[in-house]
Amino acid sequence: MPVIEVTDLRKVYGPRTVVDGVSFSVERGEIFGILGPNGAGKTTTVECIGGLRQRDGGAITVVGMDPAQEGAAFRKVLGIQLQESRLPDKMTVVEALDLYASFYPEPHDPAELLERLGMVEQRKTYFAKLSGGQKQRLSVALALIGNPRVAILDELTTGLDPAARRDVWDLLADLRDTGVTLLLVSHLMEEAERLCDRVIVIDRGRVIAADTPEGLAASVQADQRMSFLPSTPFDLAVLGTLPDVHSVVTAGERIVVIGTDDVASAVIIALHERGISVGRLRVDQPSLDDAFVALTSSDEGSSVAEESVVR
Amino acid sequence: MSIPTQPTDPAATIPAVGRINWRAARAMLISEGRLLARNPGVVLWTVVLPVAAAIILGSIPAVRRPSAGLGGLSFFQLYQPILVFFAITLLAMQALPDVLTRYREMGVLKRLRTTPVSPTLLLFAQLTLILSVAIVCMALMVVIPPLGGAPWPRNPGGFVITYLLGAWAMLGLGMVIASLFHNAKVAAGFGSFLFFVMQFFAGLWWQRPNMPVWLRDISDYTPSGAAVQGLTDSSIGHWPRALHLIVLAVWGAATSRLAIRFFSWE
Repeated sequence: MPVIEVTDLRKVYGPRTVVDGVSFSVERGEIFGILGPNGAGKTTTVECIGGLRQRDGGAITVVGMDPAQEGAAFRKVLGIQLQESRLPDKMTVVEALDLYASFYPEPHDPAELLERLGMVEQRKTYFAKLSGGQKQRLSVALALIGNPRVAILDELTTGLDPAARRDVWDLLADLRDTGVTLLLVSHLMEEAERLCDRVIVIDRGRVIAADTPEGLAASVQADQRMSFLPSTPFDLAVLGTLPDVHSVVTAGERIVVIGTDDVASAVIIALHERGISVGRLRVDQPSLDDAFVALTSSDEGSSVAEESVVR
Repeated sequence: MSIPTQPTDPAATIPAVGRINWRAARAMLISEGRLLARNPGVVLWTVVLPVAAAIILGSIPAVRRPSAGLGGLSFFQLYQPILVFFAITLLAMQALPDVLTRYREMGVLKRLRTTPVSPTLLLFAQLTLILSVAIVCMALMVVIPPLGGAPWPRNPGGFVITYLLGAWAMLGLGMVIASLFHNAKVAAGFGSFLFFVMQFFAGLWWQRPNMPVWLRDISDYTPSGAAVQGLTDSSIGHWPRALHLIVLAVWGAATSRLAIRFFSWE
């Protein structure tokens, strides 16, 4: 039985549907990523799962419990690291851990967690004096202090420098074997690639992709992408019928074609036969970031008119 | 670090929902007390002025003589209750909303919601601390002046009852401010405004015996006017009037209800 099961989750703020039918399930011990651009509905989704928001539709179970009931029983099995949550300036690291440990029946030993976090030297440092990375590591520690079976970590490396980010990632990678199920919210593909067993991509409240990070990357990375300015406008369907072409997108005046390794020559030849020349040609191998952008590009507004033709 | 194996049946280890976790309540109180001790600025500033004023007033013999212009009371008898109430009002209108709105802004209250204990524990820890500081102030203002020859309150029972009911009304009002205003600066501004209103009706500038009857009638129905009159009556040996105690209890109950109704964690 999955540890987290979300079925057709919906959340509406006034006239705006923020989460629009999200479904997924997470198995025990998995590190599961929820990816998506800012404002996609990621945080709202996990806040519904965490029982901090009342959902407007759908079903959620976490370790067999409904978060909407929001009892203490639920709080004991779930640890949450919230986006932009601070501690009082003059609370020290060890005081924060001791305080939060007192809330749970079977907490971790704070001293042990400190060592694990590499924060023994900072144990008596005030929260206000910690670096960004140390604050986030402490925040992760507070989410784990109660020995939760599920931990939700929301945008935990946002605003960190690359070194601090890697520190936090190392800590999470170490947790992989402990049986804690981690739900990770991120808009960084690199983070997901590094940590997650499986991911979903959410855009405008809907799940637009669900796969392993490798699977997601491979689906795009096996492809080549070319973009060009045609000498005259033409019917894009012409390209869609080519065997090497996977999808055709317009980005302003440029035409972006994604396809097999041979896509560039296939497109140039096909257009040449119709008397159209290819200007300012660019051919590149899309990265994982590009895959993410391609998946969510329709969010960018009217400048990119998506007209995807899937073979 | 080895994470102990998780219990397979969550229901097996979980006590009844809604039980107060005294270990957490104690830890919270200690933690908040420590933070207060590290940031003593607001509270010290709040209490030093009235305590010093009461002690200095009590040490001047001329101030202890009854004065016809003050309704037969001495200046000290008139002002000691005002100063006693000054301290709790300032703590409740300024210190309490300030710390609670800042905790809300910082996400501390929301963070606590994700744990098995309720953020209510934090509210109670703050109320306990502020009330304790206020009571210590009150005690200093009552105990020290007699050492220099000023009178004791002649009806200590009435004095304490009035004080506690008055403190309830003031802390309730402070909680209402913290409920209605989510911005710490706005809450502080409104708290200052309300503080001066309270002090006006308490008679800080225009002593109650000298107020016109209609104004004193209004003052009787405000928490500060009722409390100061109750304290004054007690200090000269009477019992506080039932009207004043009822006014304080109604303010306490009404503000507590409002605060519980409108307080939000984020």
